[in-house]
Amino acid sequence: MSVTLPRNSFPLVVTGIAFGFLGLFLIYPLYRVFGASFLDASGTYFTLHNYAKVVASAFYRDSVINSLTITVLATLTTTAITAPFAFAVARLPVGGKTALLSLAVLPLVLPSFVSAYALVLLFGHAGVVTHALEWLGIPFGSIYGTPGIVLVYVLTLYPYVLLPTVAGLKALDVSVEEASQNLGASRWRSFWTVTFPIVIPSILSGALLVLIETLENFGVPFVLAEDKPIMAVEVYKLFVGETDTNPASAGVLGVLLVCSTTIAVVIQRRYLGRRRFATGARRSPPLIEAGPGWRSLATLYCWTIVLISLVPFFAVIEISLMEYRGPVLHPHFSLENYAELLRRSTRPLENTLLLSTLAAFGAALLGVPIGYAVTRVRSRLTAILDIVATMPFAVAGTILGIGLIISYNSGWLVLTGGWLILVLAYVVRKLPFTVRASSAILHQIDPSLEEASINLGVSPMMTFARLMIPLMLGGIVGGMVLTWVAVASELSATVVLYSGQWQTLTVVMFQALEGSGAGLAAATASLLIFFTVIPVTLVYRLLRRYEMSLL
Amino acid sequence: MTTVTIERVSRSFGSVHAVREVSLEIRDGEFFTLLGPSGCGKTTLLRMIAGFCELDAGSISFGARRIDTLPPHRRNTGMVFQNYAIFPNLTVGGNVAYGLHARKVPAARIAERVATALKLVHLDGYDARWPHQLSGGQLQRVAIARSLVIEPEVLLLDEPLSNLDAQLRVEMRGEIRQLQQSLGITAIYVTHDQEEALAISDRIAVMRAGTLEQVDKPDAIYRDSTTPFVAEFLGVTNLLSGTITRREGAHAVIKAGATEFHVEGTVTGLGEAVAFCLRPEALRVIAPGDAIPDGWASLEVLISRVEFLGALTRVETQLADGTMLRVALLDQPLETLSVGHALTLAYDPRRVTGFKAA
Repeated sequence: MSVTLPRNSFPLVVTGIAFGFLGLFLIYPLYRVFGASFLDASGTYFTLHNYAKVVASAFYRDSVINSLTITVLATLTTTAITAPFAFAVARLPVGGKTALLSLAVLPLVLPSFVSAYALVLLFGHAGVVTHALEWLGIPFGSIYGTPGIVLVYVLTLYPYVLLPTVAGLKALDVSVEEASQNLGASRWRSFWTVTFPIVIPSILSGALLVLIETLENFGVPFVLAEDKPIMAVEVYKLFVGETDTNPASAGVLGVLLVCSTTIAVVIQRRYLGRRRFATGARRSPPLIEAGPGWRSLATLYCWTIVLISLVPFFAVIEISLMEYRGPVLHPHFSLENYAELLRRSTRPLENTLLLSTLAAFGAALLGVPIGYAVTRVRSRLTAILDIVATMPFAVAGTILGIGLIISYNSGWLVLTGGWLILVLAYVVRKLPFTVRASSAILHQIDPSLEEASINLGVSPMMTFARLMIPLMLGGIVGGMVLTWVAVASELSATVVLYSGQWQTLTVVMFQALEGSGAGLAAATASLLIFFTVIPVTLVYRLLRRYEMSLL
Repeated sequence: MTTVTIERVSRSFGSVHAVREVSLEIRDGEFFTLLGPSGCGKTTLLRMIAGFCELDAGSISFGARRIDTLPPHRRNTGMVFQNYAIFPNLTVGGNVAYGLHARKVPAARIAERVATALKLVHLDGYDARWPHQLSGGQLQRVAIARSLVIEPEVLLLDEPLSNLDAQLRVEMRGEIRQLQQSLGITAIYVTHDQEEALAISDRIAVMRAGTLEQVDKPDAIYRDSTTPFVAEFLGVTNLLSGTITRREGAHAVIKAGATEFHVEGTVTGLGEAVAFCLRPEALRVIAPGDAIPDGWASLEVLISRVEFLGALTRVETQLADGTMLRVALLDQPLETLSVGHALTLAYDPRRVTGFKAA
């Protein structure tokens, strides 16, 4: 039910500010990237030459093909591995279920980039395990390229499929399965004809999130792709390397990337819009009584996935506590890496903490009213706002970064080189988090509460501030913490936008990759893990309560 | 205390006319009920008065002051919601004081007025309780106290009893009525429950598809319904149709199937079709050998079904042509009513309501 408040300027003000902000810092930069792809090197004349150039180049054609191949592979593998996991957790007597689900949320909020980096530290050219194996004379293949990238995506993105699928399986009413069996279907048959089709939308909604994430991810292929061209990385390299005034080639790849993700989002929306199998569960189906064999197998399967996904993080912490002399690792416990890190400068840590905090507040300040307007006011304007506010999902960080730079490096508003441009990019990118979190919690608050407050003489704006904010606080804080964590581990926009003193922890790691500072990078990564795990643990209860809505 | 004037008010949602050209004059201190089936526009009309729904056309005034141009928080109405809408983050006292804080009443006065309001709804001493500690009925009382404490010009009640169980509903409606009368406040009440409307109201407006069907006192609405819709909506009735065949003194005689019914007045011209209604409780059983009361008409029926409800017995009977006629009998010995047997029924022609054929 929606509230229509006459002569209530509040939703209008919110919608106006939101459109203004997103127009300036999302739509216009994207438009500039789009424009850049159609203009010649000087940036004045219209041309299709840029597209022709990219299409003619085998290298860039490959980057498109590689990106799509990896995306499809990662999405399929993740889904295939996670769907049975979800079913086991939801329906089988798996051991340690609560711990399992708590740990399974962690990869979602720890940077995939760190995971990829850990893999390099372990299995890369100079990796710990690689060295050990070489020393033992055991030959070892390369983890670089497609297999490594797909592996990291699977390990870091599987919660996107797991959480909605478990929720979908739990939302199934027991009577549906009972009816199927009552009508003569075997348990096996009723699973494939009733249970599975009903949870397909949940599985797919997760799978499409994985697809979008992998397509736009910058950090993982940057670490693991080596010479293999990947769209999200090539956009960045082209932009950094382009000397012309108009970043035409980067623009072309950027447009292709945004188009791919947009198609995925549109397919997701259209497919799921037609399929909502809300069975309104009164009673979830009971656990399937399985023999000890099945039970152990399911437990083993689930724990293996979760533990493997956490290996990179433990490895990073472990490595950070070992002694490095030059590029060579010595198996001695040492805090030298941390000492070195602090000697260099504490600015990156301070920057990460400061920028994340600013971004979390900014995203809440903007996202909560947007979530409110989108949920409570039904109009054509808010319907458009809803679409625009979820758009950042489909925009790769590198593209947004490039767009912001070409839009605001000269003219009436110059933002490049400062901290503000970073915060703006973060707020735009993570806006869907807070919008979704606040609209999810609003769905649980009866609209008549607001009407009662207004009826008692409190204006709509004051009602929002005094009544709705306190009622929504749980969801707002949850959304803010998630934003905070996501921003702290953000790389793709940061790497394009940061300058000089505004280095963040992820940038430090990114730069250490090129040199030989593995110990330093591991220490930095550990520091980041430390600062992201704490808030995640604190907010874990909230996260579980809203696990669906925060995805 | 205020009169409420609603003038030619309309509102449509897309192609649906929720409220169409409705005009009403609600008197000072009156308990006025908007009654109708779901989707008839009664809640929309109430929300228009509260300001939660905009008018497409028309105006609403409290006294001489036009209020439909004011934002909802400046209208000074007290609304009681169907689901109570008690703020879960405030105590009972906090909920009741909410509107007083908005009006910047001094703290000392607030405490005093909250205590008085809670006493009024028999919740003295519940100040510090939290909403989740209260029962549905108690929450309802808090909601009423909260809307009365601000001394609103008009009290608006949107199906306030529909979430309560049957017994509590009867109890609460009595209390609401009593409270309203002792305060002399103008109240507008929305319900789809005809019994509730009849029990509580000074006047009732029956609504259908966005328009007013009939506005009158409860007994007039029930006994002299002006349309078949109103007659049927207000409880069980017999809705029949026939043609006027002749006149007998002050009566018109309607032939419906094979049976003749007497109606007081002319209703409409000879030979014309009419619909009419006869309430089941207006029919009496005439025992064999007993005389038919003076001025009454009678008819013969066959009993087809008997439903014993305690004080009341509902009987379904058939007229000669098979048309069903419902009868409600008070304290009638059950052995006189066996299925398949004939029965003589009598009624006062003044209790038959004729409608001009639609």
